[in-house]
Amino acid sequence: MKKYLEIAKAYMKAQLIWRSDTLVDVILAVAKILFAWILWSILFEGKEQIAGLGFQAMISYYIISSYLFQLEKSAEISRQMTGMLRNGTFSKYMVIPVQTQGYFVAMEAGKIAFSAGIGFLATFLWFYLFRIPFVHTANIKILLCGSIMVVLGLLFMALLNYFLGILTLKFEEISIFLMIKDNLSAFVTGAVIPLALLPEWMTAGMKFLPFYYVTYLPSMLFIGKCEEEAVTGLIVLSVWCMVFLVLNQVTYEHDRIKYDGAGI
Amino acid sequence: MKIIETENLTKKYKRYKKQEGLAGSIKGLFHRKYEEKIAVDDFDIHVNEGEFVGLIGPNGAGKTTLVKMLTGIIAPTSGRIQVMGFYPNKLEKAFKQQYAVVMGQKSQLFFELTTEDTLRLFKEIYGIPEDEYKRNKDFFVDLFQVQELMNVQVRTLSLGERMKMELIVALLHNPKILFLDEPTIGLDAVAGKQIRTFLKDVNESRGTTILLTSHYMEDIKVLCKRSIVVNHGRKIYDGGTDMLFENYQKSKKMTIYFEHSVEPDVSDDCRVLEKANDKLVLEIPKQNAEKVLESYIGHYPIRDIGIEEQEIGSVVERIYKEV
Repeated sequence: MKKYLEIAKAYMKAQLIWRSDTLVDVILAVAKILFAWILWSILFEGKEQIAGLGFQAMISYYIISSYLFQLEKSAEISRQMTGMLRNGTFSKYMVIPVQTQGYFVAMEAGKIAFSAGIGFLATFLWFYLFRIPFVHTANIKILLCGSIMVVLGLLFMALLNYFLGILTLKFEEISIFLMIKDNLSAFVTGAVIPLALLPEWMTAGMKFLPFYYVTYLPSMLFIGKCEEEAVTGLIVLSVWCMVFLVLNQVTYEHDRIKYDGAGI
Repeated sequence: MKIIETENLTKKYKRYKKQEGLAGSIKGLFHRKYEEKIAVDDFDIHVNEGEFVGLIGPNGAGKTTLVKMLTGIIAPTSGRIQVMGFYPNKLEKAFKQQYAVVMGQKSQLFFELTTEDTLRLFKEIYGIPEDEYKRNKDFFVDLFQVQELMNVQVRTLSLGERMKMELIVALLHNPKILFLDEPTIGLDAVAGKQIRTFLKDVNESRGTTILLTSHYMEDIKVLCKRSIVVNHGRKIYDGGTDMLFENYQKSKKMTIYFEHSVEPDVSDDCRVLEKANDKLVLEIPKQNAEKVLESYIGHYPIRDIGIEEQEIGSVVERIYKEV
């Protein structure tokens, strides 16, 4: 476990090297809050509620969900793996005593930890300085469920993208799989069509998929909504994580033996 | 004790043979023709613990495929292979703990971080105890004299400095076997020499078995007592490096400076490479070198004479062609 912690630390340190990038991250985090404030102020003019949420709850939801969305950068894993397998540099992970899956998840964790820290700091300062009322649940259990769900969601996305990366061992082109993943994720989280417009059986079915629990549900939980779905969400996400942990291990061990292209 | 052993090791690749043009590409969607390429063919190799072995051969000879199989990166098609008692392609943790690979053109270092950071990471990856880590690090840092570079961002290091760091990272966990692929590629003469001295020291003082793949014959001649020549996937020579070069060193280059301008006789078995008023450069058959030398010393006023071994590239070319 310590080795994976050290891998995460190394990638976190690597992120801290570029001061300009760090500054841009802070500015973006602040700009996002400012933008949300302006946008929702206009939309709420003359209205008490939109989609069941008041102005402050909406701002809180928007900021939390965009913060979580910003943390989810795991698509980089599949892109990086594909590139490395194609140009023959992936073997550097094969010859060291670590599980490649663990290595990539730890790498992602290190990068996320950096973004999470910067984003949290900027958001907290902004809320504090401008006295923006932040709507959140007071239920400790729900807060805990939401936090665990965020971790599991990010882990799931890292595992899914690792799986898509491994597919390079079998397929020449994996961009079609990446596109399917992105579209499915956008559809399930309501980014393509508002979920309210879909038939009930379809939205109920989508709750068995993990994407709903990656950013949407934790954001709702943090502002005190959909609390009855918290446990279901944790169970569904845990099952998906377990499935992909095993699937990745089996697929990697099976496909790497047949793959001759791993360079040296 | 044998640390690397292969018997009838074979690796075949299946290659898609595409027909020419767009029509060929479309046809290839429905009906594909494959050809089999034998990269390593019935290869037997035995390496003893502590040996420094050179693996040489022209591009496409099968050297890299062989090293990939020995390190477990790819699986053999048939034959027997064992490295330190393991079947490499299983990539067991205990196996990976005991070897290291250094590739001249690829890196294990974090370019954004310092070498010290990478070493810390590798300490954890290999589970090296703190005291052993410090001892090893100090030993290698001292050997390479790179104390002042340890806390410098890797990105800013020169190629030679980076290669030294790669070697330190690779050797930190005291591997039993070190696989080296072109470690001196692109390095200047001074850095190349430093790397060679370092490797020689590591092999002698630590007993690390080293398998070196290089196109630089200087590396092979200086470091490896034993050489294995590979061509078309087959082993065509396995024995002493001195013997290999001795056998294929067909001629010598003799440069003679005369006291004044002369018109020297040149025997038929010598080839004139350069001729000036007071200078003559000849390529002479190795076995006649003494006789030719004597004939000039006895007949002409000589200011200086130089005799050089045949240029290494020509020797290697002959080895690849004739063995």
